[in-house]
Amino acid sequence: MKHKKLLAGILVFGSLWGFSECIIGSLLHDAGLPAGAIMTAVFAIGLLTISRVWYQQRGIALGMGLVAGALRLFNPFGGCYLCSAIAIMAEGAIFELIWYRLSLDLKELQTLTYQSSIGIISAYVVYVGGYIITQIFTPILSSAGFHLENLLVFLPNMFASGLLAALVGAATVPVLFSVKKLDITIKDRLYYPITIGISIVCWTVVIINTAILLWL
Amino acid sequence: MRMGKAQLIPVFAIIVLLIGCTASLYVHATQANTDLIDINGQQYTIDQLFYLGEPRTIASLNTTGIALDTLITNIGLNCPSCHHYTIIGKDGYQKTVTWENMKNGVLTHQQSVVFSDLPKAFRVKDVIRIEVN
Repeated sequence: MKHKKLLAGILVFGSLWGFSECIIGSLLHDAGLPAGAIMTAVFAIGLLTISRVWYQQRGIALGMGLVAGALRLFNPFGGCYLCSAIAIMAEGAIFELIWYRLSLDLKELQTLTYQSSIGIISAYVVYVGGYIITQIFTPILSSAGFHLENLLVFLPNMFASGLLAALVGAATVPVLFSVKKLDITIKDRLYYPITIGISIVCWTVVIINTAILLWL
Repeated sequence: MRMGKAQLIPVFAIIVLLIGCTASLYVHATQANTDLIDINGQQYTIDQLFYLGEPRTIASLNTTGIALDTLITNIGLNCPSCHHYTIIGKDGYQKTVTWENMKNGVLTHQQSVVFSDLPKAFRVKDVIRIEVN
């Protein structure tokens, strides 16, 4: 039962993350805003933190990354969808590694200082790590191949671009911990209809959006 | 006194911010500032390159520019297919591609390079150099 609930949680939070990357991320990208840093620091870190706080289970971030990355592959618009899908999956795995050593009840993160600090670390490492991994794997999967020097010369830019994500992440995690105090609970009989319903809506909207853009 | 896990978290956060700030300063200080494009050691303006190359449209990406392969051929490079090409942007972003990729690439008037056969990660903006390797 507990595992079923966790799987439903991975599905709904992963779908929400993928949905936000496909729809909001594309809009931010088209508007010329730093979509990657904003998406990671607000939506990715936000949803990953909520799920970790709510379910108090390890492994959920890894699963969410796989679900969100898969959904991103269904939307080949707004930036590089292959790069984004790889980056999202990597981000889930990196978040999992960072938070793995924290206790399940997250008692280390009781004060605002610790919450902001883990927000900075998570947003920065997740964003820069995802960026680096996608710059390795996207060329490997293409006909041009991977060239190490292309990655090395651009590392300072990647380290610099993570600063915005880190600063936003410093606010995201404390805000979510304050929401936790509201103690929102869903009745057991409504849990599966709500989680599965939200997931279906996310996937349907992304697939319809893709179909419309292809048709136009 | 041994620092606990919780005490280390703010220390790591400060280190992360310092890395980000230092990298930002470095990137700002080293950013190239030129509108010329260096191809195999020769400098050209974008208008000169548009005169040298042949037009190509990538309909699927709604992009028009000059064909990278004809550009390389017309600047007089021997055996173009024997080389790899590294496209470098003003911000330091660079991508190395094959001659086959160059046959599917264009240089736009906004000095961006776009390839129809490669992911969007291979798009380089504000191109300042094309190295022949």
